[in-house]
Amino acid sequence: MTLFSDTRFIFVRYMRKLVRTPILLFFSLFQPILFLVLFTQLLTRLSNFPGILPPGVSYLEFATAGILLQNAFGSALQSGNSIVADIDSGFLQKMLVTPVSRPAILLGRLSSDAFRVVIQTAIILGLAYALGASVKTGIVGIIGIFFTLAFFGLAWSGISLALGMKTRSAETVFAIGGVLTFPLLFLSPALFPIDFLPTWVKDVSMFNPVSYAVNASRAFMINGYDWATILPAWGVIGLVALITLSATLYQFRKVVS
Amino acid sequence: MSDIITVKDLVEVYSDGTKAVDNISFNVQEGDFFGFLGPNGAGKSTTIKILTTLLRKTSGSVIVAGHDLDAEASEIRKIIGVQSQDTTVDGDLTGRENLMLQGHFQQLETSQIKARVAELMKLVELESAADKRARNYSGGMKKRLDLATALIHKPRLLFLDEPTTGLDPQSRTVIWNYLQKLNKEEGTTIFLTTQYLEEADRLCKRLAIIDFGKIVASGTPAELKRQIGADSIKVSLENCIKDKVHATELLKSMTGVTEVIETPAEECLTVYAKDGGTLIADIVRALDSSDIRLTSVTFSSPSLDDVFIRHTGRRIRAEELVKAPSRMFGGRR
Repeated sequence: MTLFSDTRFIFVRYMRKLVRTPILLFFSLFQPILFLVLFTQLLTRLSNFPGILPPGVSYLEFATAGILLQNAFGSALQSGNSIVADIDSGFLQKMLVTPVSRPAILLGRLSSDAFRVVIQTAIILGLAYALGASVKTGIVGIIGIFFTLAFFGLAWSGISLALGMKTRSAETVFAIGGVLTFPLLFLSPALFPIDFLPTWVKDVSMFNPVSYAVNASRAFMINGYDWATILPAWGVIGLVALITLSATLYQFRKVVS
Repeated sequence: MSDIITVKDLVEVYSDGTKAVDNISFNVQEGDFFGFLGPNGAGKSTTIKILTTLLRKTSGSVIVAGHDLDAEASEIRKIIGVQSQDTTVDGDLTGRENLMLQGHFQQLETSQIKARVAELMKLVELESAADKRARNYSGGMKKRLDLATALIHKPRLLFLDEPTTGLDPQSRTVIWNYLQKLNKEEGTTIFLTTQYLEEADRLCKRLAIIDFGKIVASGTPAELKRQIGADSIKVSLENCIKDKVHATELLKSMTGVTEVIETPAEECLTVYAKDGGTLIADIVRALDSSDIRLTSVTFSSPSLDDVFIRHTGRRIRAEELVKAPSRMFGGRR
């Protein structure tokens, strides 16, 4: 089928571009790894105070889920840049004068984004494991984490793609994405337990989709199959994805027609 | 021969109200080598974008190879090949990968693509660099690769938007020879825009000149030159600004002179005359006796350059030359 094979060719193109530009991969992994290795060290003593972290859980183990989210943000941000680059260079037009399937252009990009998040998540999880963290739910749970983050990454790619096509400016995508990333992380239980946060932050975090994604990943890491947390989280991510990907589709149609 | 492109009353109005294409009609026959000339911003690229399904027209009708542009854009995409003005190869991919990918976009079978890629690499003389990343190619190599990607599916109709701009003379000749062969031996119809009138003169069987969104002249290069009906004598004055009005009057009053126009760039005036060669001495004498100092007088039979200046009042590339530096330093002024 055209849609499927065209998506695959475009996916392969983006993966080739990614592995051949290791500097991009390095930069988007650098910050999460810095957090994982250094930032968690600053707070290892948190586990000495009972009642803050769940019993038997190190700060590293606790923070890993948040850092994975931060990582998904970073790589999704570059998605918008790639579409701007393709528009600027004329490569998108070059695709559009061929019979290539139109949805495949978007699906190829999104599937490569999702795959990239999974690869980066695997790298960070591997590093966390080497530093002493473990995933309570084992292999199946790891797949659950991959799914949660890839799904979240897609929802976030939707924002950067829509912005990229709307503004045609890589700088704008980076600026807006960069401005959004940390407030959303800080106003969620990404790096600190929810009960540790001031009441107003706790209240705001209820409306922050990042909170749900973090809680779901964290459930797989340290609580086990807590479906009461995981399923609503997937619902929230799905809702966000619906909105951002609709915006992407809308902008894409404007670019294509 | 039948038409492969039929354009009727085509209009493109941009959202800001600019009329980029103003009611043009033309047709291109199957097997033709058609040149579309015009100064920058005349509407060339806009027309190409419409014909290649990239831009929606405001009104008018366009039929390409029997397919209506509005109803069957996807059918049109199957038979056209397009090389745009900007070289659009993916620098992160090798030359071969670029071509393979383009073959897949054209929905060809992998085995078919492989054979065609080998053929094209040889043709554009990139065999030895086939597996190097296109990022490291020279400008000429990238342009050749780009041309090859447009040819991967043996298009019936090939659009080339300034295919040799920025190329060294040697690469240009290679591409010219190849395009002529493609047109002659494979019967590929070629629609070409260019800034090089000698390129149009050498390659194109038919031409149309577009200016301010309207077609101002069309015909074979020979016909267009014949329409000028006169030789041209380019006259440079030492003080062009001061003397040009007086000189124009003088020259116009001479027998045999059909027209005198101001010429942009290095020359000052162009005089059109029947049997211009015999007038040179008279011109020099007339100007000299009126104390107008000459720096040079050049005589030529009509060229496409003259055709172009006659119809647009501009030199095709002078604008480009003036424009280039301001683009480079645009942000600093």
